[in-house]
Amino acid sequence: MKVKLWGTRGSIPAPGPETIRYGGNTSCVGVTLADGSMLALDAGTGIRCLGLAQPDEPARLHILLTHLHLDHIQGLVFFAPAFRPQTEIVIWGPASPEASLRDRIARYISAPLSPVEVRELPCDVSFRHCPESEWEIGSARIRAASVSHRGPTLGYRIDDGGSSLAYIPDHEPALGADLDRLEEDWISGFELARDASLLLHDGQYTDAEYPNHIGWGHSATSHALAFARRTGAERTVLFHHDPLHSDDQLDALGAEARQRWVELGGDPAAIELAAERTEYELPARAASAAATV
Amino acid sequence: MTQRPLELILARNLMSALSTPAFLVDEGGLLVFYNEAAGMLLGKRFEELGSVGPQEWGSLFGPFDESGEPIPYDDLPLVRAVRAGRPAHAELTLRSTDGTEHDVEVSAFPIQTAHGSQGAIAVFWPSLARSNGAGAA
Repeated sequence: MKVKLWGTRGSIPAPGPETIRYGGNTSCVGVTLADGSMLALDAGTGIRCLGLAQPDEPARLHILLTHLHLDHIQGLVFFAPAFRPQTEIVIWGPASPEASLRDRIARYISAPLSPVEVRELPCDVSFRHCPESEWEIGSARIRAASVSHRGPTLGYRIDDGGSSLAYIPDHEPALGADLDRLEEDWISGFELARDASLLLHDGQYTDAEYPNHIGWGHSATSHALAFARRTGAERTVLFHHDPLHSDDQLDALGAEARQRWVELGGDPAAIELAAERTEYELPARAASAAATV
Repeated sequence: MTQRPLELILARNLMSALSTPAFLVDEGGLLVFYNEAAGMLLGKRFEELGSVGPQEWGSLFGPFDESGEPIPYDDLPLVRAVRAGRPAHAELTLRSTDGTEHDVEVSAFPIQTAHGSQGAIAVFWPSLARSNGAGAA
């Protein structure tokens, strides 16, 4: 399984010279499965460049949306494959009692917010609510589960070729909870991330910033590290950077996160901050590599 | 161990922050959490008791009606809320582990999700009617 980060920013795009290294595009991760199937995790502005990198030939693409906040769907109408008649796109996302996935996304892909309507997209697009049980896409097993954020929000786990990717970009598992003491079955998102080869997890706020953002649906650095430690993720990438955080600030945050991880007994190389265009190739996972801290 | 539904996780997190005694049961009626305030009322912290089945928690704290008779299990507000998927309210008496009796009002409501009922929450208040010496209306 190959994983490439196309957008790592949260909330709103943050382009500019001060964010050039970590990137200013909002959430999007490209995943190429062992059988060549292509997934996009979320459709923030990063999906525009992912789309430009796709060959102009018949293809079936799956877009897995965690939720429908704008920073996770804003790139949909700028996704080049959506404008190719020979492309089939399947969009997966959370169910809501209020309206279908298609109707909720159509609120964005419609006038006056968009120059095109869903029905006008040249591609063959379909919308599916994620099932409660695991399902298959290509060579992978996919699992979706509701996680603690504002509104219906999913996290994903993708198991493929002996490796596992957990993607939980918007997540506040520490809301009203002590992650160090709580039983694991009471921790939001735990089963998605358990012993994952690679965990992409919300790390939007510093610990100093978090008290002013309690309940906003995101994690402080220490919460993300506690979640990673409890779940036994092999490698953790802090994702969904706050738009106010410059490259220099993120460098400092990364150094602090690694230092804390070492203090917890972990390998500093197992913690990093998400940077746009970074690629990961996930090998078959050793069975006993979990929970080193 | 199976992951708890998010709605139960959030309910527990909320209850942990409340000073009002509250119980949480899963869809099978298993008592899966009660908060510190409820622990003070019952004389035993949840961490000491752990999860117990519906028959057991009913007998542990002996809910009684106003005439002192044990309330049948099927009539307990939490059981009614889980089974019927409807809110339920009652006045009853709890007996804590040291024998102290507490007259309380209980409001229970089901936790309904897109995937059906996931359990129920019961919140307890001191019974004004009983503490004033008045009978149930």
